[in-house]
Amino acid sequence: MKKNILIIDDSESIREVIATGLESAGYTVIKGINGEDGLKCLAANPSLELIITDLNMPVMDGISFLKEVRKSEKHKYLPVIILTTESQEAKKQEARNAGATGWIIKPFSKEKLINVIKKVVR
Amino acid sequence: MDAMRTTYLEEANDLLSNLERALLALETNANDKSYIEEVFRVMHTLKGNSSMFGLPVIAEFVHDLETIYDKIRLGEMQLSKELLDCTFSCLDHLKIIIHDSDLSNPVNKNNHETLIHQITNFINQKGLSTGKQEQANSEHTLKTYHIYFEPHASIFNNGTNPLFLISELAAMGVSKMIPHFKVPEENQEFASESCFTYWDIYLETEKNDKDLMDVFVFVEDSSKIEITELGSLDLVNNKEFDAFINRGIYKHVKTDLEEIKAFAGKLQELSSGKTETAETVKTTELKSVKKEKVEKTISSIRVSSDKLDELMNLVSELVTTQAGLSLFAANNKITELEVITENVEKLSRRLRDIAFGMTLVPINNMFGRFQRMVRDVSGVLGKEIEFLTEGGETELDKTIIETLTDPLMHILRNSLDHGIERAEEREAKGKSRSGKVVLKAFYSGVFVYIQIVDDGKGIDVDAVRSKAISKGIIKSTDFLSEKEIFDLIFYPGFSTAQKVTDVSGRGVGMDVVKRNITDLKGTILVESKIDEGTTLTIKLPLTLSIIDGLLVVIDHVNYIIPLSVITKCYAVNNKDMMGSFNNLLILDEEQVPFIHLRDEFGYSSMPNAQSQMIVVNNGERKVGISVDTIIGEYQAVVKPLGKYYTKQDFVSGASILGDGTIALVLDTNKLIELFIKKIQTEEKSWQLN
Repeated sequence: MKKNILIIDDSESIREVIATGLESAGYTVIKGINGEDGLKCLAANPSLELIITDLNMPVMDGISFLKEVRKSEKHKYLPVIILTTESQEAKKQEARNAGATGWIIKPFSKEKLINVIKKVVR
Repeated sequence: MDAMRTTYLEEANDLLSNLERALLALETNANDKSYIEEVFRVMHTLKGNSSMFGLPVIAEFVHDLETIYDKIRLGEMQLSKELLDCTFSCLDHLKIIIHDSDLSNPVNKNNHETLIHQITNFINQKGLSTGKQEQANSEHTLKTYHIYFEPHASIFNNGTNPLFLISELAAMGVSKMIPHFKVPEENQEFASESCFTYWDIYLETEKNDKDLMDVFVFVEDSSKIEITELGSLDLVNNKEFDAFINRGIYKHVKTDLEEIKAFAGKLQELSSGKTETAETVKTTELKSVKKEKVEKTISSIRVSSDKLDELMNLVSELVTTQAGLSLFAANNKITELEVITENVEKLSRRLRDIAFGMTLVPINNMFGRFQRMVRDVSGVLGKEIEFLTEGGETELDKTIIETLTDPLMHILRNSLDHGIERAEEREAKGKSRSGKVVLKAFYSGVFVYIQIVDDGKGIDVDAVRSKAISKGIIKSTDFLSEKEIFDLIFYPGFSTAQKVTDVSGRGVGMDVVKRNITDLKGTILVESKIDEGTTLTIKLPLTLSIIDGLLVVIDHVNYIIPLSVITKCYAVNNKDMMGSFNNLLILDEEQVPFIHLRDEFGYSSMPNAQSQMIVVNNGERKVGISVDTIIGEYQAVVKPLGKYYTKQDFVSGASILGDGTIALVLDTNKLIELFIKKIQTEEKSWQLN
């Protein structure tokens, strides 16, 4: 059974890079372009097992999105991995408090991504 | 199970020495593609075998190697000296780990990981310097750690599953996990969404504490994590230590780490004195085990097949000479000589039987292994498969069986993987849920037939055809009969599998199957009907170079018909034969079709008023073959016909008789086949006229 992963990033190239990596590792990928879109994707795909989301996005940013996810009864415990950069240490902490499961620092290799994913979903 | 294990090891050893040979050849002829193919094939077989015998460690290891050679084969990668060196060390390593397939020896484990690293580097073509890798690995020594992990009560709120972290730790080495539970105080409302569990973990691993901390990277801020090194002694499997820590398990209190540390130190001190004696005990134990093994294996020895071949040759010469002697004795009427001749005949017959017995094995030996493979493979594929074998008592030359095992294994795997459909698919087609695969062996005349019959989806002629076109094997304008299209599956590099799986795929195999069978002078025939199944028939000549035959004469020429096919002989009047309608005779109140050989061979006159009708088995039916006279039973040493007679298919060989004349050995099945074909064409031309 393939695991469904939702990727939310406003940059198309980043979405595609991650999606390609994950698909080649045997995951099914659903893509969202911002937090609001992400919530729609979440509603449309009840069998999601993991969300990977960027923080800085137009319309609805990652932190607000995360808070929404944690508010919902259904997705309260869904693992969420955030994409950060080295310089966003404070943001990382903010995301943790909002309920992020883990993080991955950009730029990253496919191997690293998969390792992080394996930490939070089985 | 042990017998199978031995077979596996024997085979693996053979494969590895083949691999070694091919690699050595490859080293001197780096551009010769056939050696790369050979290397690849051997790896493929080894992988298949290992996964079949439930040895994933070896299978995965070889799979990685195979991937490299697959790339080289396809020209995506270049062969380099470094790669060959690495492959040789892998080869040496494989020779060791086929005996230690779960890497229980830490040295092997270490080597294994080093080599895997090197292989992965080659695959990624990053070309990391291997020396550095080794150094990095050699630093790794086994250490026992104590890890205290107390997740924050709200850990679930971040979507973290602490059990994943625990199992990540467990995967790092040998571990003992002791969970504790915080008991909520009385009258306090039970917070069902909080974490009440915490762990004491003892882990023996070669990873360092930084690696261990890495596991907790996402939770280290919120949870209590303490990692303490307890020393290099294997404490996890130490009984005394086990007993010591078990005392505190159910107390639900945080274990006193200082106490444990002190105890571990004490154990270590004690054992450092002990290890030496333990080691020596172990080695002597090992020695005695080895000795026992040697004594056991002496009851059967391996003889090189060259020696056996020579023995068989000498025996057949002896049988021929003995026939000459018997003839001489019969003609000269010397009483003493007759007695001696009789004895020589008896002895040579026994000698012949024993010499044959050495090389003959019932095919059953092979069937057992298939049973296991079908079981395992059907499990992997998630298909329901019923596997039946017939004719296990059929005996075949040992060397033939050995050469045949791999091809049969491959055909079977193909049947299971591509032939048999999934249960749901079968139901939808109105078939029984479980697929059926039958492996049959039977004699027919001087041949042994082995059939693999499945009731799966059959071979899609169009798919094979278009695949062959896309691979450039045939042109789209070529017209091929169904049989020719089926034969395409034996073309090197041809595979209709969509995905490379553990079970089959990659397009090696069927060409090897065909080659192996051709090497045995056999033929392979594919018949298939969509949704009804596929039948593969392998026909092998009985290598019995000496057969019991019936010596008969047609127009002063001697012929031998194998006794094994003959059911009965009758004397018939030529008049009845000539006047029969549709070549049918009534023998024992049964209609028997017959072939008038004299007529077929083009001799016109009839010397006698009577002929001998020899009734032989032809598959299910009986067919009569008429000859002039029967001389008697004869031990015939069958020699192949010269290369000028290869087109002569109803004569399978020739034998030299005692008086030096030659008798031809008839292949009755071929003879009947030819006769039927001839009648059919006659009928056709008659209809056309």
